[in-house]
Amino acid sequence: MSVSQLLPLILLLPLIGAFINGTIGKSLSKVMVGTIATGVMAISFVLAVMAFMSVQHSEPVTVHLFTMIKTSSFSLNARLFADNLSLWMTLIVTGVGTLIHLFSMGYMKHDAGYYKFFTYLNLFIFSMLTLVLGSNYFMLFFGWEGVGICSYLLIGFWYQDFKNTLAARKAFIMNRIGDLGLLIGLFLILGKFGTLEYAEVAKAVMTEGFEISEMLIFGITICLFIGATGKSAQIPLFTWLPDAMAGPTPVSALIHAATMVTAGIFLTVRSNFLYELEGAHVVKEIILYVGLATSIIAAFIAMRQNDIKKVLAYSTVSQLGMLFVALGMGAYTAAMFHVTTHAFFKALLFLGSGSVIHAMSDEQDIRKMGGLRKKIPVTHMTFLIGTLAISGIPFLSGFYSKDEIIGHSFESHKFVYFALMFSSALTAIYMFRLYFVTFYGKFRGTHEQEHHLHEGPASMTLPLIILAILSVFGGLLNLPGVFLHKGTHWLSHYYAHNVAGPGVAVGEHGDPNTTLMLMIVAGAMAVVIAGITYTIYVTKNSIPKEDDQLKGWEKASAMKLYFDEIYDFLFVKPVLWLSEKGAHYFEGAFLHRGVVSIGKVIGKSGDLVRKIQTGRTDNYLLWMVSGIIGLIVYYIIYYKN
Amino acid sequence: MELLLFILPLFFALSVLIIPKQGVRAYGIIGSLAVLGVVIACMMQYNNDGTTHYFVNKPWLAGITLSFGYDGISLLMLLLTAVLVPLILVSNFKNELAENRLFTSMVFFMQLGLIGVFISMDGLWFYIFWEITLIPIFLISWWFGAPERKAALMKFFIYTFVGSLAMLAALIGIKVNAPTFYIEDLKAVTFTCKTACWLAMGFFLAFAVKIPIFPFHTWQPDTYTKSPMAGTMLLSGIMLKMALYGMIRWMIPLFPEAVACLQWPVIILATIGVVYGAIIAIKQKDMKRVFAFASMSHVGLIAAAIMVWDFDALSGSMVQIVNHGLVAVGLFLAVEIIERRTGTRNLADLGGFAKQAPKFAFWFAALAFASVSVPLTSGFIGEFLMLKGLVQFDMIAGIVAGTTLILGAVYTFRAYQLSMYGPVTRDQFADLHWSELVVLAIIILAVVILGVYPALITDFVNPSLKVVLETLSTPSGL
Repeated sequence: MSVSQLLPLILLLPLIGAFINGTIGKSLSKVMVGTIATGVMAISFVLAVMAFMSVQHSEPVTVHLFTMIKTSSFSLNARLFADNLSLWMTLIVTGVGTLIHLFSMGYMKHDAGYYKFFTYLNLFIFSMLTLVLGSNYFMLFFGWEGVGICSYLLIGFWYQDFKNTLAARKAFIMNRIGDLGLLIGLFLILGKFGTLEYAEVAKAVMTEGFEISEMLIFGITICLFIGATGKSAQIPLFTWLPDAMAGPTPVSALIHAATMVTAGIFLTVRSNFLYELEGAHVVKEIILYVGLATSIIAAFIAMRQNDIKKVLAYSTVSQLGMLFVALGMGAYTAAMFHVTTHAFFKALLFLGSGSVIHAMSDEQDIRKMGGLRKKIPVTHMTFLIGTLAISGIPFLSGFYSKDEIIGHSFESHKFVYFALMFSSALTAIYMFRLYFVTFYGKFRGTHEQEHHLHEGPASMTLPLIILAILSVFGGLLNLPGVFLHKGTHWLSHYYAHNVAGPGVAVGEHGDPNTTLMLMIVAGAMAVVIAGITYTIYVTKNSIPKEDDQLKGWEKASAMKLYFDEIYDFLFVKPVLWLSEKGAHYFEGAFLHRGVVSIGKVIGKSGDLVRKIQTGRTDNYLLWMVSGIIGLIVYYIIYYKN
Repeated sequence: MELLLFILPLFFALSVLIIPKQGVRAYGIIGSLAVLGVVIACMMQYNNDGTTHYFVNKPWLAGITLSFGYDGISLLMLLLTAVLVPLILVSNFKNELAENRLFTSMVFFMQLGLIGVFISMDGLWFYIFWEITLIPIFLISWWFGAPERKAALMKFFIYTFVGSLAMLAALIGIKVNAPTFYIEDLKAVTFTCKTACWLAMGFFLAFAVKIPIFPFHTWQPDTYTKSPMAGTMLLSGIMLKMALYGMIRWMIPLFPEAVACLQWPVIILATIGVVYGAIIAIKQKDMKRVFAFASMSHVGLIAAAIMVWDFDALSGSMVQIVNHGLVAVGLFLAVEIIERRTGTRNLADLGGFAKQAPKFAFWFAALAFASVSVPLTSGFIGEFLMLKGLVQFDMIAGIVAGTTLILGAVYTFRAYQLSMYGPVTRDQFADLHWSELVVLAIIILAVVILGVYPALITDFVNPSLKVVLETLSTPSGL
């Protein structure tokens, strides 16, 4: 099959799966539902691999489906586009997606809404693929909002607990704030270029003699970035992501770690030709520092969280911040490299936490766990690998991908380098704390929980093992040129081949000696931190304190730096206040009374009128009709004369 | 055949009064489907080149002409009316009201008036039909509304009547210089900017009340809540579209000179309405009021987009007119479904129905998403084009109006979640009756099809919009 036939199929298969499960899933057996949903994903992944093989060394492929809107000045098309960037994302989405579908078959086994869950999950994949495979910003926006909807549905999946639905609503609304920014960015692009096709915009930008006002390019890029802050949970729009953990854990792994939240990174890399323009430098600086602040703040908050999923959620926010730092420095390939490895180890960690929660009969508080390493050995081993990978322990995937970003910063921004190192140190600390408290020491749960402790079925352990392998060897994708002479920087070459934009083609790699030195420093730091946390949490066997015993920075961390409270005070309360008071005073009293008093003035204007005002509406109607007729008659007479 | 557009509704309006009570339900639906058939036949005939197809066009009495005809814009409005009336009748199926002869008769009178408004090409006929629509909707609410309806309806009546008088005055004012009320004659008259502004304001007042545009809206939430469900649907689904149509067909083409002075004030008011309606909707306790203010917020955006008077924005507003008609009817049906089963619309007393009525939960959720204009629904296409027009007209106005994206999600999902989610509050809550299911499914299907393939609407109205825009850019007198 040619690529132009493969692309629509890759996209449609998850939709078909969603359709089958959504319509008749209720009457099918659970195994059947899960098999259909996972099956379409697996096929989609295989097709994606085929497309990847054939596009990898050739030109990008565009498939025109149909024209959605055609106006006098522009047309918006449903079109698919495959180049090395979109296909790489497709591989991640379908690949990791398949594993998470498989995991969910075991994890959601006892849930009554089983068929609904898989319908939403398939629907999410469809939206995400629309986002990455679309050939223009319009299609991207379709997918962009689509993933937002699916995220809303899945966060609020257990809707009988109203708290979950509030978290879902928060996620949707905060995303919409970003979406508005993105939408306005789209309008600006449309106004300037007359098209939303990536290829055409890129061509226009990279043509000799292209001119654009600095103001406009600033506006476009900042608007796109505002969109990215919503979806990718950056300051100021990041507080929805930790709350989104209210959804089932496979959802957190798929949507809120591996795929959806990287949409903002994808958007920026896709638009790198805009960000590389003269006027966008300020925006890149903004991206850099917003990312940096997010990275550190989220890592700081993660230090004293005790909900296993919350720690991972803040860790995701922190890692995403680091990705934006890379984008702000123009290190697009490094960002995509880290997106890939992060998808592996973060999905692994989330699924691992799911496996822990599953074993612990829905307990999420790590203070009530402990000593799980012998009880659930597979989960333990894989979770350990995930922890090592994200902490940057040498020779695992996270080590290489993080190092590439940090290396970039060392060359250009020394301050950023130290800040990133600080953030990495925090990452290693909270991750090892999480790992040791959960898996070492004595079991601190109830007897009942202890009795129930068990490893999940094969459908749960198999994805863990595969993701663990990927987390170990993922670094091979883009090895630095320090150890080998051949086979390095594979991903950089891959992107440089046929992805539009000057940004990704940058092939410069740091001086090998500096790289080596930086690697040694970073690796040593991670190992030392691992050792220190081991002494604290294993040797000294200390357990996280109760929230009310915390003081100083610990309390600030546990209280999430009061972001929710501040937003509540600054935005939520005022709007609610306006709504309530507006309805009461303005709507009810001011406008209403104004109208009533006008009515009274009319009513009191003379006895004659009073007699007509019988209060019976039929009479008013009669008057009205006769008024019309009278006017017509009058008019006819007037005209005749 | 076009005369059937008048004859059929009139026939059914009268004949329904004498048929036996048990047959009224079916008779009404059959009648409304017959009208739909006629409208579709008209659409098939229309050659869609943007010109107006007149089926009667001759002088009559005293400068009043008998000019009735349609172009793509009129046809789309006719189709919307003809589709919504049967939907409204079917959603009313479970109510006792559906058996009422007078009620059904009034619905057909209403349809007659609406059809008249959309195909009148003579100013005075437009005005007459405009007024005629007021009578049946008023009577429906007066006879069949909630017990404490009288004050609200008086307010409604005074508002609309004052607005109508202003329009009449403007019509007469312009006619002084034109030989007839025929639309082309009226268009040919030119004014100084000042006169044009005054006259256009007359029309605007009538339209602003109906749409309603802030601050002419205070009749709306009360009237919506006190009317029976079918009345609310007629009001929000179709009747307010008369005013939007009136802006495109009459107000701006007749007074192109006034665009310069009216454009900004109207856009500002409409944009305020978008935000104001949305903010007030957030804390409303009565579900029907939430959607009443939501409706105000949504149509404010349409009015603003029309005033931008740009081809794409107009195209978008046509899409959104259709979308809003469908979605508003759906949302008010959802409210009615809850009220039928629980006897209340108070959000504080509701909750947990998603568990008991999964079908309803699904379709209501789909409606909620359509209402916040997510992609793949026609609302998105409409809002995309309209906001694009607004942003290019003025960045600030565009951004302020764009907040509807955010605030819309706030009030819609608040209402949805408070009623459907959370712990179960009632012992039982029956899932959808077939009549309810049919209406919701048709609406969602239509909204999604138009959202994926909006060319169905835009290809149909664009030629006509082009003609309307061209007449404006080269007014005969300028």
